[in-house]
Amino acid sequence: MHIPDGYLSPSTCAAMYGVSTPFWYGALQRMKRTLHTQTTPLLAVFSALSFIVMMFNLPLPGGTTGHAVGVSIAAIVLGPAGAILSISMALVIQALLFGDGGITAIGANCFNMAIAGALVAYAAYRLIAGRAALTSRRRVIAAGVAGYLAINVSALLAAIEFGIQPMLFHDAAGAPLYAPYPLHIAIPAMMIGHLTIAGVAEMVLTAGVLAYLQKADPGLLEGTAPGAAPSGAESIDPGWRRTRPLWITLGVLLALTPVGIVAAGSAWGEWSPADFSNAASRRQIARASGSVAPPVAAPSGLRRLADFWTSPMPRYSAPFLRSPAFGYLLSAMAGTGVIILSCVLFSWMSGRTRARAATGS
Amino acid sequence: MSATAAVFELQQVRYRYQELTALDGIDLRIEQGSRNVLLGANGSGKSTLLRILDALYFPSSGSVRFHGRELTPKLFESDENAFDFRRRVGLVFQSPDVQLFNPTVFDEIAFGPLQLRWEREQILSRVNTVLDRFEIAHLRDRPPHRLSGGEKKRVAIASVLVLDPEVLLLDEPTAALDPRSESQIINLLASLGDGRRTVVIATHDLNLAVDIGDRCVLLERGRVAAEGDPREIVRDTELLGRVNLIHEHLHRHASGLVHSHPHRHPHEH
Amino acid sequence: MDERAHSRAGGDRKLMASRSARRASAFVEKSIHSLLETADYAARAERRAESRGLLQRLDPRSKLVGILLLIFAVVFSRALWPIALVFAAAVALALGSGIRLRAVAVSIWIPALLFTGAIALPSVFVVEHGGRSAAFLVSRSLTCATLSALLVFSTPWPALLKALRALRVPAIAVAMLGMTYRYLFSILDIARDMMESRRSRTVGALSGAEQRRIAAASAGVLLSRSVQLSREVHLAMLSRGYRGEAFTLEERRMRPRDWTSLALFAGFAALVTGFGR
Ligand SMILES: Nc1ncnc2c1ncn2[C@@H]1O[C@H](COP(=O)(O)OP(=O)(O)OP(=O)(O)O)[C@@H](O)[C@H]1O
Ligand SMILES: [Mg+2]
Repeated sequence: MHIPDGYLSPSTCAAMYGVSTPFWYGALQRMKRTLHTQTTPLLAVFSALSFIVMMFNLPLPGGTTGHAVGVSIAAIVLGPAGAILSISMALVIQALLFGDGGITAIGANCFNMAIAGALVAYAAYRLIAGRAALTSRRRVIAAGVAGYLAINVSALLAAIEFGIQPMLFHDAAGAPLYAPYPLHIAIPAMMIGHLTIAGVAEMVLTAGVLAYLQKADPGLLEGTAPGAAPSGAESIDPGWRRTRPLWITLGVLLALTPVGIVAAGSAWGEWSPADFSNAASRRQIARASGSVAPPVAAPSGLRRLADFWTSPMPRYSAPFLRSPAFGYLLSAMAGTGVIILSCVLFSWMSGRTRARAATGS
Repeated sequence: MSATAAVFELQQVRYRYQELTALDGIDLRIEQGSRNVLLGANGSGKSTLLRILDALYFPSSGSVRFHGRELTPKLFESDENAFDFRRRVGLVFQSPDVQLFNPTVFDEIAFGPLQLRWEREQILSRVNTVLDRFEIAHLRDRPPHRLSGGEKKRVAIASVLVLDPEVLLLDEPTAALDPRSESQIINLLASLGDGRRTVVIATHDLNLAVDIGDRCVLLERGRVAAEGDPREIVRDTELLGRVNLIHEHLHRHASGLVHSHPHRHPHEH
Repeated sequence: MDERAHSRAGGDRKLMASRSARRASAFVEKSIHSLLETADYAARAERRAESRGLLQRLDPRSKLVGILLLIFAVVFSRALWPIALVFAAAVALALGSGIRLRAVAVSIWIPALLFTGAIALPSVFVVEHGGRSAAFLVSRSLTCATLSALLVFSTPWPALLKALRALRVPAIAVAMLGMTYRYLFSILDIARDMMESRRSRTVGALSGAEQRRIAAASAGVLLSRSVQLSREVHLAMLSRGYRGEAFTLEERRMRPRDWTSLALFAGFAALVTGFGR
């Protein structure tokens, strides 16, 4: 979801910096008031942590993997102000030093993921968790839902930012200057991947870490749980089983979304970027590609692509393709293209049926 | 009253982390210009005591005096008092990950002077002197994650000595170093004791105690178990065995006889 | 990576076994890979920044501001050829600074093309003037990515973060970013050690749920340790006189050649913006 340079118009970028600045300022003042001299080390170490956690390849139900942003667990442990600042710093480092996300888009990326993400996650967590005991199962569910919502709100904001570009900015001939897709394509194209993969990744991480902290370090949860009932009345049953309600919640959420149907029907790809580093799959790829050894490191663009659209990638590459790089390129493109084209098709068809309904009546 | 002045005087100092009592009634006097070694097994409270001396923790009960003045949180509310104390007392933490928190070696060494609001020119010249003196000038722009263990330790000590504190507190300065770096650090520490600076070193390395210390305080589960000349304490195998600083090994001899005797490790493991 | 490749199952018969082993520890393997890749990228960028070249000799502030101005010019341009002009200039700068184009191609161009190309390609068919629009998207993001790579490959990261002061970023933010950068590597090491010890302990296949539990617990351990680390660092800062205020040593004055280069950057950016109106 890291928007690169060139996707958003200068005025959009400026507006997003403008919107973000008061949040940054307010969050910093708040942290300094409550944490005093501890602000700097806590936020710095936490943003380094979120940077690292963003690199985890989380195994998701259905055999696919995804990356989380970590904003929701940050909001639960540090509160919204701390989460806004630490995630923003991680995003700044990513943009400036690692080329993940554009420099002009830092304002937008921070607003979508750090600011909106933290506020949504915090609100959802507090609302659902209520005054439940620190070790209660309800908090695990609250954390999972908070993570799922936060990422999807972030993605929706990014999609809206993309979608308004072609309406506002085109050259003399009418060609869009920045992100080319209108809202009715940008929103579903962004949301499919986030409702099905990225949101689930964030949910898995947030709920899982919360469940871990309940057992190992409950003190870290106290900050955002004022008035929590004393624990002890409720016993913590071990294992992952108690997160089952979470999966049911997710299932319901997915079922309510039309894209859930699309997601359930597609076969998730075998060739995820990390397969490059694996011995067996490397050999397999090498054999399939006429013994041209594939690169040891996955082209990081492939990884970023997978994270951005989190598109399902085809299971195989056509055997006539001799160059593995070309194969990856094509399969990556095809995955994204399929999503965008199916969105186009979908909106075109629904437009037709609506039109027919209108003429028919 | 003894002839030399006391830098620190501790009376019945107790410190607890939540339920756990880490220091349990410590009485201690540290004299000006002395070189003290705090010996003790893991968890005996050495680090906690150093943090009490550095006024990072304040006793749960009892009192700590620095040059006769009691160290309390209230004292440190004023910038003036805080700066005065921080300039005069320096602590080198056990873990380089904790001690070196700046992005480069230069920033690390300039941190203390910057916080104490020194003038820019003064900072630059002092930092450069220290870089040369500790032979780390070539590491100036390196980030800490690209330093070796011995280099990290030298930078850590330099970053504290840049303020030229009259009291230097060191937490396990030779832990996790290879023998060569270890002897370099020991030489460095030995050269610091010019009779003016007071040094307190926490360690479980008996050799270090003999090499550098002129006084030894043996800690056992938050209490002072013994105090005195390091050479004498190191010879008391019964005492050292009791506080877990040496341990008995079972040996099987060629004859098939199994027996045990106290065993001293020359180096820390 | 390769040692592991050889120590793993050798023949076809073993392939199936190793495939299930791969599944068993997929999370751990993939995460180790990501962590190694990041450490590697950082190490390479740091080495390059230390070499001597045109850009390496400039003051980080004029470099940062100058390259930002160029990025703005690219983002503002409403025509394609001024963007191409900046791209050519960026390539020339890379060559003049001893930054090998192969390195830029591998770490910047191919990924950017793959990434933006995949997003832009369908627009050729579904958006009016889609071809031109795709050209805008690709050329802009490619050029901007190249420019920021020039910055990162020619400047030590701590110096780059400090140069943000020149953009009026508050001292406390710069101090925090510097510390974030510093602890990135500590936490990366902790994470890698944790994953590697996990790998050595994992035998047999793990269910998906079990893998998720391991993943979440790993993140949880890391979180606990990070909070603990930050508390200790806080004490270390206090011990050295920290009172909550951040100070950075003011950088040396800009030399004439730094001003000249800044002026050149600004002039070129203004020109491009003018062309691109
Ligand atoms: N932050 C903390 N919270 C809770 N307990 C702590 C904390 N730090 C130390 N302790 C406990 O206090 C006791 C004394 O710890 P301390 O670190 O002072 O020992 P030490 O002599 O320095 O040990 P080592 O040789 O392992 O460094 C130990 O039992 C330790 O577990
Ligand atoms: Mg200790």
